[in-house]
Amino acid sequence: MAPLKHFHRTRRSWLPLAGCLLGLLLAAPLPAAPVDFVREIQPLLEKHCYACHAEKKQKSGLRLDIKSQAFKGGELYEASILPGDARNSPLVQFVADPNADLKMPPDGPGLSDREISLLSRWVNEGASWPEGVDRATLADPLDHWSFKPPVQPAPPQTDNVLWPRHEIDRFILARLEQAGLRPGPEADRITWLRRVTLDLTGLPPAPEEVHHFLQDSRENACEHVVDRLLASPRYGERWAQHWLDVVRYADTHGFEVNTERPHAWPYRDYVIRAFNSDTPYHQFIREQIVGDALQQDAATGFLVTASVLLPGQIGKDEPSKRLARQDALDEIVVNIGQTFMGLSLGCARCHDHKFDPVTQADYYSLQAFVAGVEYADREWLTPEILALRQKSSQLSRRLAQIDTELLRFEPLARAGTERPMINARQNTDRFAPLTATKLRFTIEATNQLEPCLDELEVFNTDGNNIALASAGTLVTASGSNVSLNRHELRFLNDGEYGNARSWMSNQVGQGWVELQFSASQEIERVNWGRDRQGKFKDRLATAYRIEIAAEDGVWHTVADQTDRVPFGATPTAPAPPNRNAEETRQLANLLREKRKLETSLAQTPAPQLLFAGKFREPDTIHVLTRGDPELPKGQVVPAVPRLFGELQLPSDTPEQHRRRVLADWIASPQHPLTARVFVNRIWQGHFGTGLVDTASDFGHGGQPPSHPELLDWLTLEFLRAGWSMKHLHKIITLSATYRQAAAPPLSPTQASPAVDPQLIDADARLLWRYPSRRLDAETIRDSMLFISGELQFEMYGPGYDLFDKRGGLTGFQPVEQFPESGLRRMIYAHKVRRERDAVFGAFDCPDGGQGVDRRRESTTPIQALNLFNSRFTLDRAAAFAKRIRNTNPPPDTRTAIQAAYQLALSRRPTPDELDQATPVVDTHGLATLCRVLFNCNEFLFMP
Amino acid sequence: MNQAERISAAGRQFLDRRQFLSQAANGLGAIALTSLLASEDLLGNPRPVINPSRPFEPRLPHFPPRARNVVVIFCAGAVSQLETWDYKPKLIEWDDQPLPGGPAVTFQGPAGNLARPQYSFRQQGETGKWVSDLIPHLAGLTDDIAFIHSLTSNSNTHGPAENFLSTGFVLDGFPSLGAWTTYALGSENQNLPAYVAIPDPRGVPQNGSNNWGPGFLPAAFQGTPLSARDPVRHLSPPGVSPETDQAARTLLQRMNARHLEQHPGDGKLAGRIASYELAARMQLSVPQVTNLESEPEHILKMYGADDTQNPHKAAFARNCILARRLVEQGVRFVQLFNGAYASAGKLNWDGHSELKEQYDVHAEILDQPAAALIRDLKQRGLLEDTLVVWCTEFGRMPFFQKGAKGRDHNPDGFTCWLTGAGIKPGVSHGETDELGQKAVSHVHPLYDFNATILHLLGLDHEQLTFLHNGFERRLTNVEGHVIHDVLG
Repeated sequence: MAPLKHFHRTRRSWLPLAGCLLGLLLAAPLPAAPVDFVREIQPLLEKHCYACHAEKKQKSGLRLDIKSQAFKGGELYEASILPGDARNSPLVQFVADPNADLKMPPDGPGLSDREISLLSRWVNEGASWPEGVDRATLADPLDHWSFKPPVQPAPPQTDNVLWPRHEIDRFILARLEQAGLRPGPEADRITWLRRVTLDLTGLPPAPEEVHHFLQDSRENACEHVVDRLLASPRYGERWAQHWLDVVRYADTHGFEVNTERPHAWPYRDYVIRAFNSDTPYHQFIREQIVGDALQQDAATGFLVTASVLLPGQIGKDEPSKRLARQDALDEIVVNIGQTFMGLSLGCARCHDHKFDPVTQADYYSLQAFVAGVEYADREWLTPEILALRQKSSQLSRRLAQIDTELLRFEPLARAGTERPMINARQNTDRFAPLTATKLRFTIEATNQLEPCLDELEVFNTDGNNIALASAGTLVTASGSNVSLNRHELRFLNDGEYGNARSWMSNQVGQGWVELQFSASQEIERVNWGRDRQGKFKDRLATAYRIEIAAEDGVWHTVADQTDRVPFGATPTAPAPPNRNAEETRQLANLLREKRKLETSLAQTPAPQLLFAGKFREPDTIHVLTRGDPELPKGQVVPAVPRLFGELQLPSDTPEQHRRRVLADWIASPQHPLTARVFVNRIWQGHFGTGLVDTASDFGHGGQPPSHPELLDWLTLEFLRAGWSMKHLHKIITLSATYRQAAAPPLSPTQASPAVDPQLIDADARLLWRYPSRRLDAETIRDSMLFISGELQFEMYGPGYDLFDKRGGLTGFQPVEQFPESGLRRMIYAHKVRRERDAVFGAFDCPDGGQGVDRRRESTTPIQALNLFNSRFTLDRAAAFAKRIRNTNPPPDTRTAIQAAYQLALSRRPTPDELDQATPVVDTHGLATLCRVLFNCNEFLFMP
Repeated sequence: MNQAERISAAGRQFLDRRQFLSQAANGLGAIALTSLLASEDLLGNPRPVINPSRPFEPRLPHFPPRARNVVVIFCAGAVSQLETWDYKPKLIEWDDQPLPGGPAVTFQGPAGNLARPQYSFRQQGETGKWVSDLIPHLAGLTDDIAFIHSLTSNSNTHGPAENFLSTGFVLDGFPSLGAWTTYALGSENQNLPAYVAIPDPRGVPQNGSNNWGPGFLPAAFQGTPLSARDPVRHLSPPGVSPETDQAARTLLQRMNARHLEQHPGDGKLAGRIASYELAARMQLSVPQVTNLESEPEHILKMYGADDTQNPHKAAFARNCILARRLVEQGVRFVQLFNGAYASAGKLNWDGHSELKEQYDVHAEILDQPAAALIRDLKQRGLLEDTLVVWCTEFGRMPFFQKGAKGRDHNPDGFTCWLTGAGIKPGVSHGETDELGQKAVSHVHPLYDFNATILHLLGLDHEQLTFLHNGFERRLTNVEGHVIHDVLG
């Protein structure tokens, strides 16, 4: 729910004023007879308050017709009645102070002075409210079907014992019989095949599959079909889409800038794979919440599917940042609540849930489980990547060894050998090992300006840099020019290179720095440079001296520039180094190995990024008054809503463990909602409507199930079968219920002599026929491509483009003619949030803003224009016609028409249809018929 | 609208076809297609049901409306109230002084000194309303306008704030005001889209299609983007001759009619057949309404559509003429955008750095055409039942940004206005403080503004709901009070 900001205006300080006024009013001596609640106060409350604060409405969460609620108070203030203290009781203040912003009642004359003093007296006398005088009782919000565990029901007995094929059918039939209805006739075999194929794979059956099925006389031919379809990769591509709707997956960040989210797709692929491999649902849940601990990194994309403001879009002021963070966390909690548990939690961000027993504290306690989740990319640590990583870290270690070995060949300082000229990038001074506790680097001249060193490194005989501040080394200097976060003395030994992390002297041409090591060490090498990143060449020390001191404190010079080629001299051929043949050979070998290692390391692939949440130290979470981050109340710890028990974690629980506990709790077979909600989603996928038709709300605001016992039976069956999705698909699609014809019986009398099902259950919620519905956008597009023979079956990876750009500000131009990569299934389209596909978006494609538990099914002229006239349809029709024409020998008109019907509708045309189509094809071409087939109702509806 | 359905109190029934089908079951299969399509074919049933096969049929509001149509002039990028409608002489006095106790940092960064209004103001009309010289044509209409100077937004960021203005929520994914309106009331014209969004000639606004999206309402109720320059997509099939197109259409009708016979009583099938007929009519009526050839010279001149020196202005003027033509044709909701996307204020009203320079350009485009639209609606009598809304997502700060000559985002007090049907003309409601920074009297979050617009359409914003993911969603979330002081 949107953050509420405007309530600031209701938060004015009415207290002082009210206080004065009440002071005057309440100071009068109290009369003797105590006020009688039932006779004097209850009627007063009824008259002035109940219109907004009783059974029908509870504005601001305040209810005054029930004792416990009246004393508890509303959202704005805690207790509304303080017995004995009228002056400080909000209830009295609101009605007594005519100038209060929250003057109550807001309209009308308000309470008379007599009524006010009566109310005040009653409060001051102790606010006696006898038990048993309330005229309403508080419904127990816990007493709700979905909060109780499912109970194993026995499949009911039915009058008709022949029709049921499965327990499912007995539940359906019993309900039909109860309503005086009969099940419809079974659909013909082709209809069932077409239905189940579209339903499970989102594509129509190929003509060969139809042919094969019609020839298959085995008793379990249908079962073979279902097994084949469930084993097909097309199944996951179809059913993943249902899931992605619910979690509002998209490939852009949303909001105004709507930038591309280029690494979101691995989550989409994860979902497809999870369906295809029939990942047990409890595992599917765990992986999406804490997959980083379960070798399923991409799965946690679930946590961050929502729109989010990028840092640049958030205001620079702190309240804007806090609000943006709250919005981002809210999306995670809401998604978890509605997706897995069918609970709408969002309203508890601002106030206790109006219908369900979820308090504001519950809501923020849930936030605390995910308070360390950031909307950001992280590295994808697949086993392959980890193996590569390990290999490259071995290579790096060997490279470091070689570097150390190469030092043997570096000429020693002050040894009579000419050493290379100083360069701005990096210089090495090597000397015989010496014990040192201090080292001083003194600069005596520069090429320009004040000297600058980006890093000073000192290596001991083990090859470790002991100069680092992190090793405990302290640094002092002759003086420093400071430019914050650029040139500071601390950057001299911080382990980071480059001008932006460097030290600069405050004297032109000179300066010194001194290192004090944490302990005495054997050292043998110093590395230093102006800018190892190679951008800066000024401020370079051209004359220097390195001195060390041991514990005796006596300084010895170990290196200077005097034995180097003079700075600025014309380079000449280096003097031949003084090496024997063996040394020369070893050096060559080492250099060769080094080059090889460097090449291998350079080829190590860059890490693949995942938009799947970045995990960090969790934020501290507070209950926020009316959801406002600027009005924090008490801190909360991770805890499940009290409705479900006492599970809570200490405030120092590590980030990942929080999510693990949350996931385990949700994915438990004991959770009354989790399995039920999912079973219902599966049922909805098959029949268009769930047994509960509010698929993401199983709370008090949702609808009760049409078949509560069947829902429980299926839930327990699902758990029994190890949370297997495919098991559910199979028993449902093979049931007699699912096999019914979609067309209603031709006349009421055929259904039942007494009852016309159209009159009592027109949309077939009781399933006296199969409820047909329009195919969804993806199924239409994919089927057109499948029928035209153009569908590309390549799976996974970054999405193809529906627009001229992959994200960004508005003004997206749709792709009209697709390259081959754009002829993949629509689930692989790069999903730009808020931009619906130019042709199919009008067919109720979700826009990725809010989660969609069920596709709306609207019918508009824009759909007709898009499907009848678009380039996409015309191109598919042309390809479809070409596919038929290209057979050998070329078909005559009637054969071509028959082939088109077979491909598009899985049947032969009737003689009538053939006669009608023939002249159209002869005059206007086969593509015209194909265009019509793509638009006809028989193609567009679930058979 | 003789037999129109009454809109549901809790209008969740869009998908509940029970009522429709039980009525239709007795012989829909036998009903000839033509009668199905006729506007008179309604069920005459008092139960609140939106007929899924005819989502745009007119529906009665909750109570007698003051307005039947709405034209929204949406100025994207956040127009400065201080350079337009909210006269603050104190700012002249305080020019270039620091604001004592003012914020150090606002949306885009450090705050600079207070800055005087960048245009001079003068009194206008009989009410003597002070209006800036930036917009002389619109300024001439103040006697007919009801100003609200004390609006607040829930966000200081363009995207969420445009969401908030257009949908009542800062988050993505909620239905727009126009979608709610169309869902509630349908349309008087079945041959044109019920809800049209006319993008600015320079591009679409910052928040794009969210401003006219259906959110979770059925896609039928989304705005159709359409301008004088860019027609509706897919109006005709490219490269297909009219004869071939007609042959395809006829064959499709036959196939569908046969299929319907085999599935009697299925309203969805009938609805889809009807949608192709509607599409065919739209193919004729959309080009007619977008073709401005028939507009006389003096009208083009009045709007500034003849301005050859300023093509953006001329194009916006043509959009304004189109808006009037759509209203004339009974299109329920027209949204006219002025200003494109984020562009450092180059293409919209987001004047962060060079406010005056940029506003000179934007006002030139907006002023004459928009004023002409209102005058033209008035002279044709259309303003009697058309509400015109001028709005922007938030306002701007009284001080310049540090080192710049522009103002930062300010959601705490800004101006929008209403004119036309049902409003109290010449009223200025609510105030900001003396520097124009924060609303201080009659403070109205945009919820109230939207509630007021629905009210003028005869809709109770608390009653107009749609069930989604367990919520009875409303345009105004759980907020909103009608601003009665601006109602006539």
